[in-house]
Amino acid sequence: MDEVFKALADASRRSLLDRLHAKNGQTLNELCDGLAMTRQAVTKHLGILEAANLVGTLKHGREKLHYINPVPIHQIGERWIRKFERGKLAALSELKRQLEKRDE
Amino acid sequence: MSKRTEIDVGKFKPAIVYTIYIAATPEQVWKALTTAEFSRNYFSGFAIEANLKVGGAFIARAPDGSEHISGEVIECDPPRKLTVTWNVNWPALVEKLGPTLVTYEIEPAGDVVKLTMLQSHDRDISDDILSGGRAGWLAILSSLKSLLETGHALAIKMAPPERMLAALKEMGIGTP
Repeated sequence: MDEVFKALADASRRSLLDRLHAKNGQTLNELCDGLAMTRQAVTKHLGILEAANLVGTLKHGREKLHYINPVPIHQIGERWIRKFERGKLAALSELKRQLEKRDE
Repeated sequence: MSKRTEIDVGKFKPAIVYTIYIAATPEQVWKALTTAEFSRNYFSGFAIEANLKVGGAFIARAPDGSEHISGEVIECDPPRKLTVTWNVNWPALVEKLGPTLVTYEIEPAGDVVKLTMLQSHDRDISDDILSGGRAGWLAILSSLKSLLETGHALAIKMAPPERMLAALKEMGIGTP
């Protein structure tokens, strides 16, 4: 679990997860596209995300595709958040979202 | 259920790929994935009935006795790999979305097992529709892990997948 927190404690790695969340199953080239990071940096960050089991890869034809794996984050939620009544937390998140939307 | 669908696995692309590590043997994980005795505990009361040979039936039976999923075994390599058609029996679903493939890959990883679940389609499926599987598989796999490691499945309260149901309804697919 240390690996998961370490992997998430970096804005570049979180932005890679955001990109996979928006579009799952991307190649390294797609993930690098439009990013300010070098290809080497992206590769390094993906390695850390993979070691933490937050990203999985698989071969599809000749391409290597990257997929977001939310299982470790879900496990963190199950361990620390579930007992605090998820329903109410969801309601608060939704309230926050609605209020902030109105400010835009 | 005699209608056999020709499935070309190579045409399918994974849309959801989840990996979970479980402190168990590959044989235990395989058994948990393929028998009703286990699945009823971690899969909301659904009984998996699998005839484990290529072409064999793969059924998920709802607690009310109905066939929720009527699929077929496409690849079977115990205790390493199982691919099945995961076709939910809702009116017009398979016609509109095409078949769904689910693959389980079981690999030893030190003292534990790495279980990978892939949900694949032969066409693009919208995020709205995939949202149901994304949430559902998290609950199923976490509960399966808990069952094998502690003897107790997790009682995860699942809200109905409203976003998916609304999207299916809009496509004219019958939903409960």
